[in-house]
Amino acid sequence: MNPFRAAIAVARKDLVSEWRTREMVPALAQFVVLALLIGNFGFQIDSRNAPSIAPGILWLALVFAGLIAFGRTFAAEREQSSLEAMLMTPASPVAIFAGKALAASVLLILCEVVLLPALWLFFGTPVSAGVVLAVILATIGMASLGCLFAAIVARVRARELLLPLLTLPLWIPFIIAGGQAVQSAMGLPGSYDQAIGLLIDFDILFVVLTSLAARFVLDE
Amino acid sequence: MSRLEKASIGAVALMALAGAAIFFYAPTDFLQGAVQRIFYLHVSSAIAAYGCFAVVLLGGAIFLRTENYAADRWARAGALVGVVFTTVTLVMGMLWAKKVWGAFWVWDARLTSTLVLWIIYAGYLLVRRLTEPGRQAARLAAVVGIFGFVDVPVVHFSVTWWVTHHPGPVIINDALPPEMLATFLFTFLFTMFCTLVLAAVMITIRYRIETLMDLKQLVPSPVQVVITREPEPVQ
Repeated sequence: MNPFRAAIAVARKDLVSEWRTREMVPALAQFVVLALLIGNFGFQIDSRNAPSIAPGILWLALVFAGLIAFGRTFAAEREQSSLEAMLMTPASPVAIFAGKALAASVLLILCEVVLLPALWLFFGTPVSAGVVLAVILATIGMASLGCLFAAIVARVRARELLLPLLTLPLWIPFIIAGGQAVQSAMGLPGSYDQAIGLLIDFDILFVVLTSLAARFVLDE
Repeated sequence: MSRLEKASIGAVALMALAGAAIFFYAPTDFLQGAVQRIFYLHVSSAIAAYGCFAVVLLGGAIFLRTENYAADRWARAGALVGVVFTTVTLVMGMLWAKKVWGAFWVWDARLTSTLVLWIIYAGYLLVRRLTEPGRQAARLAAVVGIFGFVDVPVVHFSVTWWVTHHPGPVIINDALPPEMLATFLFTFLFTMFCTLVLAAVMITIRYRIETLMDLKQLVPSPVQVVITREPEPVQ
């Protein structure tokens, strides 16, 4: 079975099921708007300090929205025991994992479609192509790590507790490089190209590593 | 007296000797004074912690390949002892930083990556605590251990690229008179040796405890089974 087609099929299944229920995306969109609201009250934002605070709020909102999104990735599979059924098909576990990660990153990118304009609307910070590119590059790497650890904790008792504890430290490289890229795209000092280069490096490293590890997490 | 008890006494004696070398033999730092003596144990326990986490990495990788539970027990032992040594490194570093940099914490590359190291392996221990012991738990923990080990240099590199205050690994300084350099180097290498011996003995002791705990898992008493039995998740 062609692994690419299997991965696309799994991703399509997840996205169709999301399209039919429309649970995650509205919830995530509302969540990120709420995060911006909290950022506004927590920081006393005005037009002068907005460019230095907005990137921080962006990453906080994105990281926690990501934890919610990836925490739900395997929820349906767990509730209906469909993961076992999927693993019994000839599709390789790596393809199944890649499909789930792809679907989760599409959901997170949909939530960014709400987050970035809201950031521009509420804080007046410029949302350029550079910001969008940095956020999407970070999403790819975060999705691969987030889905791997969501698969790990899916069979653990305290999964809501463990997922952030395991995932957040591993996301730190993406937050460092992504934060730098967004800050310099919003006009603060710093090298944008170098940060984007690092993000691409981290994406390659962690996509390869998580695909290698997926076999040990998903089999049986 | 068992071999392990003898080894423990030896390790403690070595640490006492290292303490004596640090306080009475090593030269006092010209600029920083006595507080620089933290250096010897601070760097040694950081290296010991890296060694412990290498045990976790190796144990996890071997377990994934061979399903040998002894490898998994070594990984568990290494994680616990490594977290202890990382804690020692962080606490001693913070005390030193308060005196020299004026603050317990600065967001420097090494401090950040050591904190992330601590968080990752504390998370590893939590995974072990929250999973039912067995093949599944060992495999999941092995993946966590491998990713933790890969992530730390990545975090370190990205924060170094970001900003750093921490001195580089400066051991050789030409400005020191040779006899002072020799005492300094001797104390450092001796402390490092003693700390590594201590870490090895601690891991071995922990390995024995993990072995006994695994045996207990295999033969649980009937009462325990009734009490601790949780309902199976609905499949």
